[in-house]
Amino acid sequence: MNFSFEFAISILPRILSTFTTTLMVTIAGCIGAALLGFFWEILRRSSKFGRYLMRFLIDFVRSTPLLVQIYFFYFVLPEYGITLPALTVGVLALSLYYSGYLAEVFKGGIDSIPKGQFEAARALGLSRLQLIFLVIAPQMLRNVAAPTGNYFVSLLKATPYLAIIAVPEMLSIALEIASETFRYTEPMTVVGAIFLTLALCFSALVKMIETRLRLSPKAA
Amino acid sequence: MSYLEILASILVGINVTIKVTLYAMLYAVPFAFFFGVAQYFTTGPMRLIVTSIIEFWRSSPVIVLIYGFYFSLPSLGVNLSAMTVGAMVLGLNIGGYGSQAVRAALQALDRGQVEAGYALGLRRLRILYLIELPQALAAMTPTFINQFIQLVKGTSLVSLVTLADMTFLAKAVSQIHYAPAKIYTALLLVYFLMCYPATIIGRMIERRVSRGREATHEF
Repeated sequence: MNFSFEFAISILPRILSTFTTTLMVTIAGCIGAALLGFFWEILRRSSKFGRYLMRFLIDFVRSTPLLVQIYFFYFVLPEYGITLPALTVGVLALSLYYSGYLAEVFKGGIDSIPKGQFEAARALGLSRLQLIFLVIAPQMLRNVAAPTGNYFVSLLKATPYLAIIAVPEMLSIALEIASETFRYTEPMTVVGAIFLTLALCFSALVKMIETRLRLSPKAA
Repeated sequence: MSYLEILASILVGINVTIKVTLYAMLYAVPFAFFFGVAQYFTTGPMRLIVTSIIEFWRSSPVIVLIYGFYFSLPSLGVNLSAMTVGAMVLGLNIGGYGSQAVRAALQALDRGQVEAGYALGLRRLRILYLIELPQALAAMTPTFINQFIQLVKGTSLVSLVTLADMTFLAKAVSQIHYAPAKIYTALLLVYFLMCYPATIIGRMIERRVSRGREATHEF
């Protein structure tokens, strides 16, 4: 069987019809992962118990496959009476998985803030929350922009995992077309090409931000 | 079902997980070194070709690649086992990430190293594997270990193309005995126990590598 361009183009609209789902899942996942990751990192720094607990939880999330985590949430939550739509479960799982990685990134970002900043904040009598959100977070964001962007790109590439819990997104539509027509090559190529293009565009964007941050003078 | 019974039935699949990991490494390590070095050496259109090959494997979602290759290769007349396709796709994907570590580590070396090699009358390739690679190896090891963990976790994807690995068996068991909470907790634990030692070793090496670097920049 040969690759048919007409067929590939004819299925393109159907696959692209779920493009917004992919985009929404990516955006929601990124926001969720960043907020959770920052929260874990704050908890890790708040007390000795928090440090050990969060270190273990972050390592646990990072040491288990995303696929299994998705299965876990999808099949185990209903057993405790929590039935969420597959889409929500997917976004939750993606957020949690990537929050583990982002917490580590944020840790590096906070570690590289000069110690004087913390001392100055204390000298000014700022409260803990003010210290976190007015002093630490803005400076950390600058340090972590590039690696965070890279994890966002990899979150985008992980969205097709949602196909396995029957969320209608691009990969699941492609598999659906494939099982209707018994042609796998074209739908898979189309989906692969869309994701590849998206990932490369976002990587280029991240690189651009990285260069701009490096060129602009650091706040003294 | 008790946890022990569940663990026993999941662990039957550990040999498939290990096999896929090892076969994938056979693709990943040569790919990483060959293409990393190629990207380091080439310029112009050749570099574009090398970069496109790396980016194809690195920037496409693995899950799409696995489905794509497993289902479309037969229709193109290539019949490979699920094990081969899974190991190849996972291996080349991880190899793509690895190649970036190789290139970055080589680029981070001091220019003077190569010049000193030339001054000693060595040829370019000998400089590469006598002077550059041994030094770069330390810098790339932490990334390689992280990628190894990604690979072990990635092997769970072969369950989607009918290979009976741990994830596949866990799913099968949970369809027979309805106890998803226990089964998936056990599965998560098994993966954690497989990957966590690598995480710890990686962290130790990372600390040692960065300590070594501090020392050389002291004076």
